[in-house]
Amino acid sequence: MFDRSRRLRVLLIVLVIASLTIITIDYRSKGNGPFEKIGHVALTILSPIQHGLVTIFRPIGNFFAGFTEVPSLRAHVSQLQRQNALLRSGQNTVADLQRENESLRRLLELRDRYNLDTLTAQVIGVSPSNFERTVFIDRGSRSGVKKDMPVVSGDGLIGRVIRVGPSTSEILLLIDRTSSVASRIAPSGETGLLEGDGSDVPHLELFNPDAAVAVGDRVVTSGYDQGLYPPGIPIGTVVAAPPARSNLSRVVTIQPYVDFSSLDYVLLVISARAPRPARSP
Amino acid sequence: MIWKRTMLLFLLTITGLAFETSVFGRATLVGTKPELLLLVVVALGMCEGPAVGATAGFVMGLSTDLVLQLPAGVSALTFTLIGYFIGRLRAQVTTTSAWLPIVMVCSSTFAGVLFYAAFNRALGEHFGIFTVLRAAGLSALYNGLLTPFVFPIVRALAARLRPPPSEVLH
Repeated sequence: MFDRSRRLRVLLIVLVIASLTIITIDYRSKGNGPFEKIGHVALTILSPIQHGLVTIFRPIGNFFAGFTEVPSLRAHVSQLQRQNALLRSGQNTVADLQRENESLRRLLELRDRYNLDTLTAQVIGVSPSNFERTVFIDRGSRSGVKKDMPVVSGDGLIGRVIRVGPSTSEILLLIDRTSSVASRIAPSGETGLLEGDGSDVPHLELFNPDAAVAVGDRVVTSGYDQGLYPPGIPIGTVVAAPPARSNLSRVVTIQPYVDFSSLDYVLLVISARAPRPARSP
Repeated sequence: MIWKRTMLLFLLTITGLAFETSVFGRATLVGTKPELLLLVVVALGMCEGPAVGATAGFVMGLSTDLVLQLPAGVSALTFTLIGYFIGRLRAQVTTTSAWLPIVMVCSSTFAGVLFYAAFNRALGEHFGIFTVLRAAGLSALYNGLLTPFVFPIVRALAARLRPPPSEVLH
Protein backbone atom coordinates (compact mmCIF):
# COMPACT_ATOMS: atom_id res chain seq x y z
CA MET A 1 0.00 0.00 0.00
CA PHE A 2 2.79 2.39 1.00
CA ASP A 3 4.76 1.43 -2.09
CA ARG A 4 1.79 2.12 -4.36
CA SER A 5 1.13 5.45 -2.77
CA ARG A 6 4.78 6.40 -3.15
CA ARG A 7 4.83 5.31 -6.80
CA LEU A 8 1.75 7.40 -7.39
CA ARG A 9 3.36 10.48 -5.89
CA VAL A 10 6.51 9.88 -7.94
CA LEU A 11 4.39 9.62 -11.09
CA LEU A 12 2.67 12.92 -10.31
CA ILE A 13 5.99 14.66 -9.59
CA VAL A 14 7.52 13.33 -12.82
CA LEU A 15 4.56 14.52 -14.90
CA VAL A 16 4.49 17.94 -13.23
CA ILE A 17 8.25 18.38 -13.72
CA ALA A 18 7.89 17.28 -17.36
CA SER A 19 5.10 19.85 -17.88
CA LEU A 20 7.13 22.63 -16.24
CA THR A 21 10.19 21.71 -18.33
CA ILE A 22 8.12 21.88 -21.53
CA ILE A 23 6.65 25.22 -20.45
CA THR A 24 10.14 26.59 -19.79
CA ILE A 25 11.57 25.37 -23.10
CA ASP A 26 8.60 26.72 -25.05
CA TYR A 27 8.64 30.05 -23.21
CA ARG A 28 12.36 30.56 -23.84
CA SER A 29 12.18 29.52 -27.50
CA LYS A 30 9.30 31.98 -28.10
CA GLY A 31 7.42 29.73 -30.51
CA ASN A 32 10.43 28.59 -32.55
CA GLY A 33 11.34 25.55 -30.51
CA PRO A 34 10.96 21.82 -31.16
CA PHE A 35 7.29 21.81 -30.15
CA GLU A 36 6.37 23.87 -33.21
CA LYS A 37 7.50 21.04 -35.52
CA ILE A 38 5.82 18.38 -33.41
CA GLY A 39 2.63 20.44 -33.58
CA HIS A 40 2.82 20.47 -37.39
CA VAL A 41 3.07 16.68 -37.47
CA ALA A 42 0.17 16.31 -35.01
CA LEU A 43 -1.96 18.71 -37.02
CA THR A 44 -1.19 16.80 -40.22
CA ILE A 45 -2.35 13.56 -38.58
CA LEU A 46 -5.49 15.27 -37.34
CA SER A 47 -6.54 17.10 -40.50
CA PRO A 48 -8.00 14.13 -42.47
CA ILE A 49 -10.07 13.18 -39.43
CA GLN A 50 -11.21 16.79 -39.03
CA HIS A 51 -12.13 16.92 -42.69
CA GLY A 52 -14.20 13.74 -42.42
CA LEU A 53 -15.90 14.84 -39.22
CA VAL A 54 -16.76 18.25 -40.64
CA THR A 55 -18.39 16.59 -43.63
CA ILE A 56 -20.34 14.15 -41.49
CA PHE A 57 -21.22 16.30 -38.51
CA ARG A 58 -21.62 19.81 -39.97
CA PRO A 59 -25.44 19.52 -40.13
CA ILE A 60 -25.50 18.20 -36.55
CA GLY A 61 -23.04 20.87 -35.42
CA ASN A 62 -25.14 23.56 -37.06
CA PHE A 63 -28.25 22.17 -35.37
CA PHE A 64 -26.58 22.29 -31.95
CA ALA A 65 -25.13 25.69 -32.74
CA GLY A 66 -28.65 26.97 -33.30
CA PHE A 67 -29.95 25.12 -30.24
CA THR A 68 -27.26 26.32 -27.85
CA GLU A 69 -27.31 29.89 -29.06
CA VAL A 70 -30.98 30.55 -28.50
CA PRO A 71 -30.31 33.54 -26.20
CA SER A 72 -28.04 35.25 -28.73
CA LEU A 73 -30.44 34.34 -31.55
CA ARG A 74 -33.28 35.99 -29.64
CA ALA A 75 -31.19 39.13 -29.31
CA HIS A 76 -30.38 38.87 -33.00
CA VAL A 77 -34.07 38.52 -33.91
CA SER A 78 -34.89 41.53 -31.76
CA GLN A 79 -32.18 43.53 -33.50
CA LEU A 80 -33.43 42.44 -36.93
CA GLN A 81 -36.97 43.43 -35.99
CA ARG A 82 -35.77 46.89 -35.05
CA GLN A 83 -33.85 47.16 -38.32
CA ASN A 84 -36.91 45.93 -40.19
CA ALA A 85 -39.03 48.65 -38.61
CA LEU A 86 -36.50 51.24 -39.68
CA LEU A 87 -36.45 49.91 -43.22
CA ARG A 88 -40.24 49.86 -43.38
CA SER A 89 -40.44 53.48 -42.43
CA GLY A 90 -38.18 54.22 -45.32
CA GLN A 91 -35.26 55.42 -43.24
CA ASN A 92 -31.75 54.39 -44.20
CA THR A 93 -33.01 52.27 -47.11
CA VAL A 94 -31.11 54.07 -49.80
CA ALA A 95 -28.02 54.50 -47.64
CA ASP A 96 -27.97 50.81 -46.72
CA LEU A 97 -28.31 49.69 -50.32
CA GLN A 98 -25.63 52.09 -51.46
CA ARG A 99 -23.31 50.90 -48.74
CA GLU A 100 -23.94 47.25 -49.55
CA ASN A 101 -23.56 47.88 -53.25
CA GLU A 102 -20.35 49.78 -52.65
CA SER A 103 -19.01 46.98 -50.47
CA LEU A 104 -19.74 44.29 -53.02
CA ARG A 105 -18.44 46.37 -55.87
CA ARG A 106 -15.17 47.02 -54.06
CA LEU A 107 -14.76 43.34 -53.30
CA LEU A 108 -15.39 42.32 -56.87
CA GLU A 109 -12.91 44.90 -58.06
CA LEU A 110 -10.31 43.80 -55.54
CA ARG A 111 -8.89 40.97 -57.58
CA ASP A 112 -8.66 43.05 -60.72
CA ARG A 113 -7.40 46.23 -59.07
CA TYR A 114 -4.60 44.55 -57.15
CA ASN A 115 -4.02 41.67 -59.52
CA LEU A 116 -4.69 39.28 -56.67
CA ASP A 117 -3.74 35.67 -56.94
CA THR A 118 -6.08 33.79 -54.68
CA LEU A 119 -6.48 30.24 -53.50
CA THR A 120 -9.75 28.78 -52.30
CA ALA A 121 -9.80 26.76 -49.09
CA GLN A 122 -12.42 25.18 -46.89
CA VAL A 123 -12.60 25.68 -43.15
CA ILE A 124 -12.27 22.23 -41.57
CA GLY A 125 -11.96 23.11 -37.92
CA VAL A 126 -12.28 25.77 -35.27
CA SER A 127 -10.00 26.17 -32.27
CA PRO A 128 -11.75 24.65 -29.25
CA SER A 129 -9.98 27.08 -26.92
CA ASN A 130 -12.20 29.74 -25.42
CA PHE A 131 -9.26 32.14 -25.39
CA GLU A 132 -8.09 31.76 -29.00
CA ARG A 133 -10.05 32.71 -32.13
CA THR A 134 -8.51 30.63 -34.91
CA VAL A 135 -9.77 28.27 -37.62
CA PHE A 136 -8.13 25.48 -39.59
CA ILE A 137 -8.30 25.19 -43.38
CA ASP A 138 -7.67 22.28 -45.73
CA ARG A 139 -4.74 23.87 -47.60
CA GLY A 140 -1.10 23.90 -46.60
CA SER A 141 2.39 24.35 -47.97
CA ARG A 142 1.74 21.76 -50.69
CA SER A 143 -0.84 24.16 -52.13
CA GLY A 144 1.45 27.16 -51.82
CA VAL A 145 0.15 28.56 -48.53
CA LYS A 146 2.66 30.66 -46.61
CA LYS A 147 2.68 32.23 -43.19
CA ASP A 148 1.11 35.72 -42.91
CA MET A 149 -0.97 35.38 -46.08
CA PRO A 150 -4.13 37.50 -45.77
CA VAL A 151 -7.41 35.60 -45.78
CA VAL A 152 -10.70 37.04 -47.04
CA SER A 153 -14.23 35.86 -47.66
CA GLY A 154 -16.95 37.27 -49.85
CA ASP A 155 -17.89 39.61 -47.01
CA GLY A 156 -14.47 41.00 -46.18
CA LEU A 157 -11.25 40.42 -44.26
CA ILE A 158 -11.04 37.32 -42.07
CA GLY A 159 -7.45 37.39 -40.81
CA ARG A 160 -4.09 35.91 -41.70
CA VAL A 161 -2.28 32.58 -41.80
CA ILE A 162 -0.25 31.97 -38.66
CA ARG A 163 0.78 28.34 -39.09
CA VAL A 164 1.30 26.19 -42.17
CA GLY A 165 1.45 22.42 -42.29
CA PRO A 166 1.83 20.29 -45.43
CA SER A 167 -1.91 19.96 -46.01
CA THR A 168 -3.52 22.25 -43.48
CA SER A 169 -3.06 25.73 -42.06
CA GLU A 170 -4.26 27.80 -39.14
CA ILE A 171 -5.87 31.21 -39.58
CA LEU A 172 -5.78 33.88 -36.88
CA LEU A 173 -9.14 35.65 -37.03
CA LEU A 174 -9.07 39.42 -36.82
CA ILE A 175 -11.21 39.23 -33.66
CA ASP A 176 -8.53 37.26 -31.75
CA ARG A 177 -7.06 39.23 -28.89
CA THR A 178 -3.55 38.96 -30.42
CA SER A 179 -4.65 40.23 -33.83
CA SER A 180 -4.00 43.76 -35.01
CA VAL A 181 -4.75 45.13 -38.47
CA ALA A 182 -3.82 48.54 -39.81
CA SER A 183 -7.17 50.01 -40.81
CA ARG A 184 -8.80 53.11 -42.20
CA ILE A 185 -12.19 54.76 -41.85
CA ALA A 186 -13.31 54.80 -45.48
CA PRO A 187 -15.21 58.12 -45.62
CA SER A 188 -12.66 60.22 -43.74
CA GLY A 189 -9.43 58.34 -44.41
CA GLU A 190 -8.50 58.38 -40.71
CA THR A 191 -6.15 55.51 -39.89
CA GLY A 192 -5.70 53.36 -36.82
CA LEU A 193 -5.06 49.89 -35.51
CA LEU A 194 -7.90 47.37 -35.37
CA GLU A 195 -7.37 45.11 -32.37
CA GLY A 196 -9.38 42.07 -31.37
CA ASP A 197 -10.24 41.22 -27.80
CA GLY A 198 -11.71 37.75 -28.29
CA SER A 199 -15.27 39.05 -28.58
CA ASP A 200 -17.13 39.39 -31.88
CA VAL A 201 -16.67 43.17 -31.98
CA PRO A 202 -13.05 44.37 -32.26
CA HIS A 203 -11.92 47.90 -31.46
CA LEU A 204 -10.27 50.40 -33.74
CA GLU A 205 -7.80 52.73 -32.07
CA LEU A 206 -7.55 55.83 -34.25
CA PHE A 207 -4.27 57.71 -34.22
CA ASN A 208 -6.05 61.05 -34.40
CA PRO A 209 -8.16 61.71 -31.25
CA ASP A 210 -10.13 64.38 -33.13
CA ALA A 211 -10.93 62.07 -36.05
CA ALA A 212 -14.36 62.55 -37.59
CA VAL A 213 -16.13 59.20 -37.18
CA ALA A 214 -19.81 58.37 -37.30
CA VAL A 215 -21.74 55.22 -36.55
CA GLY A 216 -22.19 53.36 -39.83
CA ASP A 217 -18.86 54.44 -41.34
CA ARG A 218 -17.13 51.66 -43.27
CA VAL A 219 -13.72 50.41 -42.11
CA VAL A 220 -11.20 48.95 -44.56
CA THR A 221 -7.59 47.81 -44.41
CA SER A 222 -5.15 50.67 -44.77
CA GLY A 223 -2.30 48.63 -46.18
CA TYR A 224 0.22 50.10 -43.72
CA ASP A 225 0.69 46.98 -41.65
CA GLN A 226 4.17 46.34 -43.12
CA GLY A 227 2.42 45.45 -46.35
CA LEU A 228 0.69 42.45 -44.79
CA TYR A 229 -2.83 43.27 -45.96
CA PRO A 230 -3.66 44.85 -49.31
CA PRO A 231 -5.35 48.22 -48.84
CA GLY A 232 -9.09 48.66 -49.32
CA ILE A 233 -10.34 45.25 -48.14
CA PRO A 234 -13.64 45.73 -46.28
CA ILE A 235 -13.53 44.94 -42.56
CA GLY A 236 -16.76 46.19 -41.03
CA THR A 237 -18.73 49.20 -39.89
CA VAL A 238 -18.46 51.49 -36.89
CA VAL A 239 -21.17 50.59 -34.35
CA ALA A 240 -20.06 52.79 -31.46
CA ALA A 241 -17.97 55.94 -31.60
CA PRO A 242 -17.65 57.44 -28.12
CA PRO A 243 -15.62 60.64 -27.67
CA ALA A 244 -11.87 60.32 -27.16
CA ARG A 245 -10.84 59.49 -23.58
CA SER A 246 -7.37 60.93 -24.01
CA ASN A 247 -5.70 63.38 -26.36
CA LEU A 248 -3.57 60.61 -27.85
CA SER A 249 -6.08 58.38 -29.58
CA ARG A 250 -9.76 57.56 -30.02
CA VAL A 251 -11.24 54.08 -29.74
CA VAL A 252 -14.32 53.05 -31.72
CA THR A 253 -16.12 49.70 -31.89
CA ILE A 254 -16.40 47.83 -35.18
CA GLN A 255 -18.92 45.23 -36.28
CA PRO A 256 -17.11 43.04 -38.84
CA TYR A 257 -18.88 42.18 -42.08
CA VAL A 258 -17.78 38.56 -41.72
CA ASP A 259 -19.81 36.20 -39.55
CA PHE A 260 -16.97 34.29 -37.91
CA SER A 261 -19.24 31.60 -36.51
CA SER A 262 -20.26 30.32 -39.94
CA LEU A 263 -17.09 30.38 -42.03
CA ASP A 264 -17.03 27.82 -44.80
CA TYR A 265 -15.01 28.69 -47.90
CA VAL A 266 -12.32 31.36 -47.76
CA LEU A 267 -9.84 32.98 -50.14
CA LEU A 268 -6.14 33.13 -49.40
CA VAL A 269 -4.39 36.05 -51.05
CA ILE A 270 -1.26 34.55 -52.57
CA SER A 271 0.12 37.71 -54.09
CA ALA A 272 -1.26 41.04 -53.03
CA ARG A 273 1.31 43.55 -54.07
CA ALA A 274 1.44 43.35 -57.83
CA PRO A 275 -1.07 46.02 -58.82
CA ARG A 276 -1.91 46.30 -62.48
CA PRO A 277 -1.09 49.59 -64.17
CA ALA A 278 -3.93 52.09 -63.96
CA ARG A 279 -6.14 52.07 -67.03
CA SER A 280 -6.12 55.22 -69.09
CA PRO A 281 -9.49 57.01 -69.08
CA MET B 1 -2.74 -5.10 -21.83
CA ILE B 2 -0.59 -1.98 -21.46
CA TRP B 3 -0.32 -1.43 -25.20
CA LYS B 4 -4.08 -1.72 -25.54
CA ARG B 5 -4.54 0.97 -22.90
CA THR B 6 -1.92 3.12 -24.66
CA MET B 7 -3.83 2.67 -27.90
CA LEU B 8 -7.09 3.59 -26.15
CA LEU B 9 -5.48 6.76 -24.78
CA PHE B 10 -4.17 7.64 -28.24
CA LEU B 11 -7.55 7.04 -29.89
CA LEU B 12 -9.44 9.00 -27.23
CA THR B 13 -7.00 11.89 -27.66
CA ILE B 14 -7.21 12.00 -31.45
CA THR B 15 -10.98 11.53 -31.50
CA GLY B 16 -11.51 14.09 -28.76
CA LEU B 17 -9.33 16.68 -30.49
CA ALA B 18 -11.00 16.06 -33.84
CA PHE B 19 -14.47 16.48 -32.30
CA GLU B 20 -13.36 19.56 -30.36
CA THR B 21 -12.04 21.30 -33.46
CA SER B 22 -14.73 20.25 -35.93
CA VAL B 23 -18.10 19.71 -34.26
CA PHE B 24 -17.81 21.56 -30.95
CA GLY B 25 -15.77 24.39 -32.47
CA ARG B 26 -19.04 25.50 -34.08
CA ALA B 27 -21.63 24.21 -31.62
CA THR B 28 -20.98 26.76 -28.91
CA LEU B 29 -22.97 27.58 -25.79
CA VAL B 30 -23.50 31.34 -25.97
CA GLY B 31 -20.16 31.61 -27.78
CA THR B 32 -18.29 29.27 -25.43
CA LYS B 33 -16.86 25.88 -26.38
CA PRO B 34 -16.74 22.80 -24.16
CA GLU B 35 -13.51 21.36 -22.75
CA LEU B 36 -14.11 17.90 -24.19
CA LEU B 37 -10.67 16.43 -23.47
CA LEU B 38 -10.78 17.71 -19.91
CA LEU B 39 -14.11 15.91 -19.55
CA VAL B 40 -12.47 12.69 -20.79
CA VAL B 41 -9.59 13.16 -18.33
CA VAL B 42 -12.04 13.62 -15.43
CA ALA B 43 -13.97 10.53 -16.53
CA LEU B 44 -10.76 8.46 -16.67
CA GLY B 45 -9.60 9.83 -13.31
CA MET B 46 -12.93 8.94 -11.71
CA CYS B 47 -13.19 5.46 -13.23
CA GLU B 48 -9.55 4.36 -13.28
CA GLY B 49 -7.90 6.24 -10.44
CA PRO B 50 -5.32 9.01 -10.07
CA ALA B 51 -2.48 7.28 -11.96
CA VAL B 52 -4.50 6.87 -15.15
CA GLY B 53 -6.11 10.28 -14.60
CA ALA B 54 -2.75 12.04 -14.31
CA THR B 55 -1.18 10.16 -17.23
CA ALA B 56 -4.18 10.74 -19.48
CA GLY B 57 -4.21 14.38 -18.39
CA PHE B 58 -0.58 14.83 -19.37
CA VAL B 59 -0.97 13.13 -22.77
CA MET B 60 -4.23 14.87 -23.68
CA GLY B 61 -3.14 18.24 -22.34
CA LEU B 62 0.15 18.15 -24.21
CA SER B 63 -1.62 17.05 -27.40
CA THR B 64 -4.01 19.98 -27.05
CA ASP B 65 -1.10 22.39 -26.62
CA LEU B 66 0.82 21.02 -29.60
CA VAL B 67 -2.05 20.70 -32.05
CA LEU B 68 -3.58 24.07 -31.22
CA GLN B 69 -0.25 25.85 -30.81
CA LEU B 70 -1.15 26.96 -27.31
CA PRO B 71 1.66 27.70 -24.84
CA ALA B 72 3.20 24.21 -24.67
CA GLY B 73 2.86 22.43 -21.34
CA VAL B 74 0.22 24.61 -19.68
CA SER B 75 -2.74 22.43 -20.64
CA ALA B 76 -0.58 19.37 -19.86
CA LEU B 77 0.05 20.66 -16.34
CA THR B 78 -3.60 21.66 -15.83
CA PHE B 79 -5.01 18.35 -17.08
CA THR B 80 -2.41 16.31 -15.13
CA LEU B 81 -3.33 17.96 -11.84
CA ILE B 82 -7.06 17.70 -12.55
CA GLY B 83 -6.79 14.00 -13.48
CA TYR B 84 -4.72 13.22 -10.39
CA PHE B 85 -6.84 15.10 -7.86
CA ILE B 86 -10.13 13.87 -9.31
CA GLY B 87 -8.81 10.30 -9.01
CA ARG B 88 -7.81 10.91 -5.39
CA LEU B 89 -11.06 12.68 -4.60
CA ARG B 90 -13.17 9.92 -6.13
CA ALA B 91 -11.50 7.38 -3.84
CA GLN B 92 -12.60 9.43 -0.82
CA VAL B 93 -16.21 9.90 -1.93
CA THR B 94 -18.54 7.03 -1.07
CA THR B 95 -21.74 8.22 -2.72
CA THR B 96 -22.96 6.42 -5.82
CA SER B 97 -25.24 9.23 -6.94
CA ALA B 98 -25.69 9.56 -10.68
CA TRP B 99 -25.11 13.30 -10.24
CA LEU B 100 -21.58 12.79 -8.94
CA PRO B 101 -19.87 12.67 -12.38
CA ILE B 102 -21.72 15.81 -13.47
CA VAL B 103 -20.78 17.69 -10.31
CA MET B 104 -17.15 16.59 -10.53
CA VAL B 105 -16.93 17.42 -14.24
CA CYS B 106 -18.48 20.88 -13.73
CA SER B 107 -16.33 21.80 -10.75
CA SER B 108 -13.10 20.47 -12.25
CA THR B 109 -13.77 22.21 -15.58
CA PHE B 110 -14.40 25.50 -13.78
CA ALA B 111 -11.23 25.07 -11.70
CA GLY B 112 -9.23 23.90 -14.72
CA VAL B 113 -10.12 26.91 -16.89
CA LEU B 114 -9.31 29.29 -14.01
CA PHE B 115 -5.97 27.56 -13.36
CA TYR B 116 -5.12 27.61 -17.08
CA ALA B 117 -5.90 31.32 -17.37
CA ALA B 118 -4.04 32.17 -14.14
CA PHE B 119 -0.94 30.23 -15.21
CA ASN B 120 -0.95 31.88 -18.65
CA ARG B 121 -1.29 35.25 -16.98
CA ALA B 122 1.84 34.48 -15.01
CA LEU B 123 3.56 33.82 -18.37
CA GLY B 124 2.53 37.23 -19.66
CA GLU B 125 -0.77 36.48 -21.41
CA HIS B 126 -3.56 38.89 -20.54
CA PHE B 127 -7.13 37.68 -20.22
CA GLY B 128 -9.89 39.90 -18.88
CA ILE B 129 -11.29 38.64 -15.58
CA PHE B 130 -14.85 38.77 -16.93
CA THR B 131 -13.80 36.83 -20.03
CA VAL B 132 -12.16 34.15 -17.89
CA LEU B 133 -15.05 33.80 -15.46
CA ARG B 134 -17.55 33.67 -18.31
CA ALA B 135 -15.50 31.04 -20.18
CA ALA B 136 -15.00 29.00 -17.00
CA GLY B 137 -18.69 29.09 -16.04
CA LEU B 138 -20.09 28.35 -19.47
CA SER B 139 -17.59 25.63 -20.38
CA ALA B 140 -18.27 23.99 -16.97
CA LEU B 141 -21.99 24.08 -17.76
CA TYR B 142 -21.42 22.77 -21.29
CA ASN B 143 -19.21 19.95 -20.01
CA GLY B 144 -21.89 19.12 -17.44
CA LEU B 145 -24.45 18.82 -20.23
CA LEU B 146 -22.14 16.54 -22.23
CA THR B 147 -21.25 14.32 -19.25
CA PRO B 148 -24.27 11.95 -19.52
CA PHE B 149 -23.24 11.19 -23.11
CA VAL B 150 -19.44 11.08 -22.85
CA PHE B 151 -18.89 9.64 -19.37
CA PRO B 152 -20.57 6.23 -19.98
CA ILE B 153 -18.62 5.75 -23.22
CA VAL B 154 -15.26 6.48 -21.59
CA ARG B 155 -16.12 4.31 -18.57
CA ALA B 156 -17.15 1.38 -20.77
CA LEU B 157 -14.03 1.62 -22.95
CA ALA B 158 -11.71 1.89 -19.95
CA ALA B 159 -13.42 -1.01 -18.15
CA ARG B 160 -12.90 -3.33 -21.12
CA LEU B 161 -9.16 -2.73 -21.01
CA ARG B 162 -8.75 -2.62 -17.23
CA PRO B 163 -5.62 -4.50 -16.07
CA PRO B 164 -5.62 -7.00 -13.17
CA PRO B 165 -5.86 -5.38 -9.69
CA SER B 166 -2.22 -6.19 -8.90
CA GLU B 167 -1.04 -3.85 -11.67
CA VAL B 168 -3.21 -0.90 -10.64
CA LEU B 169 -1.84 2.13 -8.79
CA HIS B 170 -4.44 3.51 -6.38
